[in-house]
Amino acid sequence: MTGWMGKIVKIDLGRRTQGAVVVSDAVRRQYIGGRGLGVKLYSDLCPGATDPLADDNALIFMTGPLTGTMMTSGRYQVVSRSPLTGTICDSSSGGHFGAALKGAGIDGLIIEGRAATPVYLSVHDGEVEVRDASAYWGLDTQLTQKGIQAETSSKTSVACIGPAGENRIIFAAIMNDKDRAAGRGGMGAIMGSKNLKAIAAGGSLPVAIGDPAGYKDLTARIDRIIDKNPVTGKSLQVLGTSVLVNIINAHGMFPTENFRRGVFNDAEGTSGEKIAETLLERQSACYKCPIGCGRTTRTRDKQGEGPEYETVWAFGAHLGISDLTAITEANYACNELGLDTITMGSTLGCAMELCETGAWKENLRWGDAGKLVDWVTDTAYRRGIGAELALGSKRLAAKYGRPELAMQVKGMEIPAYDPRGAQGMALSYATSNRGGCHMKAYLIAPEILGHPVFLDRFSTAGKAELVALFQDVSAVVDSAVLCRFLQFAVGISTFAEMLRVVTGLDFNDEELMTIGRRIYTMERLFNNRAGFGRGDDTLPPRFFNEEFQTGSSRHRLVRLDEMLDDYYKVRGWDKNGVPLQRTLAELGL
Amino acid sequence: MRRRVRTDAVEIAGDGLTIMALLRLAEEKTGQSFLDELLDKDKGLLTGTIILVNGENIRLGQGLETRVEAGDSVALFSPAGGG
Repeated sequence: MTGWMGKIVKIDLGRRTQGAVVVSDAVRRQYIGGRGLGVKLYSDLCPGATDPLADDNALIFMTGPLTGTMMTSGRYQVVSRSPLTGTICDSSSGGHFGAALKGAGIDGLIIEGRAATPVYLSVHDGEVEVRDASAYWGLDTQLTQKGIQAETSSKTSVACIGPAGENRIIFAAIMNDKDRAAGRGGMGAIMGSKNLKAIAAGGSLPVAIGDPAGYKDLTARIDRIIDKNPVTGKSLQVLGTSVLVNIINAHGMFPTENFRRGVFNDAEGTSGEKIAETLLERQSACYKCPIGCGRTTRTRDKQGEGPEYETVWAFGAHLGISDLTAITEANYACNELGLDTITMGSTLGCAMELCETGAWKENLRWGDAGKLVDWVTDTAYRRGIGAELALGSKRLAAKYGRPELAMQVKGMEIPAYDPRGAQGMALSYATSNRGGCHMKAYLIAPEILGHPVFLDRFSTAGKAELVALFQDVSAVVDSAVLCRFLQFAVGISTFAEMLRVVTGLDFNDEELMTIGRRIYTMERLFNNRAGFGRGDDTLPPRFFNEEFQTGSSRHRLVRLDEMLDDYYKVRGWDKNGVPLQRTLAELGL
Repeated sequence: MRRRVRTDAVEIAGDGLTIMALLRLAEEKTGQSFLDELLDKDKGLLTGTIILVNGENIRLGQGLETRVEAGDSVALFSPAGGG
């Protein structure tokens, strides 16, 4: 088969053994790669109750057949059981690392065991070498990447953890290509638990293409479509993802001070427009990407990437902070230390409300921009109040007797769209397989942004079908592996075409939708085995009980009960959210 | 939009105007054409254009024929995405 390099390496860091994992052509076709194949392999190795930070847990890095091609993908997926949520988790990152893994001759890595001393993996020419990383242990992600590049090659792409991962903070990120992050779900903590500081990949082995002429034509066509599309060809290029700040705020659903209000009066000062006027040095792009949504920025003292929309919100409106420099430097600190900005910021918001109510006798106050970097740093090192913040919002709020103040689903903090302003997004959060995340089904696209069609955001009609559809398409995109932003310009038919020309296999729309549904259901089965069910498919009580008094989402509440049963029916699951036998039979699970 | 028009707000006097009429007046007032950021070549809303009247999307009303009253606030966003 073309597209895949044909080699997945399984390595046990404790025993210092490694070997190739044989994946049949049929399984590749059923799960494609990336997230789908990663979850399939993980579920076979660790079916349910493995402690995420135990030696016997597996951590999987996986690319897809489109990774490393001209189809805008340098992405990779990291799959394991999340130490933050206990659910299955796939965490995705852009940059060049995915393409570098394939250039080094492998599709993926399965890592088990725990090294006796810190190590990193050097991948080249289809081989995986275990190297001493003692010199890098304790260093931040930027120094680690530079050090390993100096030791190997300046062309090497490095994915690594910082002090947060070493200290097993349960929302530690994996950072690659300077500031790109596999941020959500604490995959960095799993690397730390294995004494695995980094993976370095480099090489120029080509990805074989099934239909070279078709590939060339399609690549040119997609480039034209991306260029002509106002989102991918203009908005994301000029203003980056933070273009959303003013839009979401205008819809009265920009979560402010731990989701107590939907309008942030200082949103303008933290907007993508303001970033472009003040901090932006240049736009930056992932491997072969013509969009270039990344922002390389500079404050008075530092330079780095970001902030993206979610981070602008997490350290901004969510905390009542409008100091864009402070927000940006907190972002830099998270990147250097290796922390997920969404969970970090959301946990701080939870902490501020706990302090305000008197439940936690500490002095974290809304709007206190001056301490942001200290709080982030203390969290990575688990010192002072950072030891408490390192719990994440769910455990922190429970510890201080106010679990309802954690804005999370299944332990993962909800990002920057208040669900009272978009009913489909509410259902998406509630049923996401990795918890409160926007990436499994981005209903903001139709409900707010009007892509691919505009829908009434306050209606629940048809949202169950749409959430399931978006979840399935997203599972395909994450398995191919592609960037989600392509979805603003092209749809499932184009994804099928891309897979056809690269793999030479006759994928079509219907088969891809079945694959997406298979992957989503497989993830659900894992979560069922790990103890998750209907009771976990919900949202914090604030969204059912507390209305905004101002803004265009005022007097609205989430109406999950109007959608959840329909969603289970659409999915072919029973009333407890467990897939029916006939559903499993249909999907070959 | 703002970068092109070089302002972040304009006031238009008038009551009972349609959004389409309002947009044309806004072009006159700013001295900058910008409708191509919002409309397709057939003068319909581009996919992704967001026009809010007091926070409500005009696509749920009469679209470009939605009428505004004195004191209304109209927000214009050319197609955008992120996440």
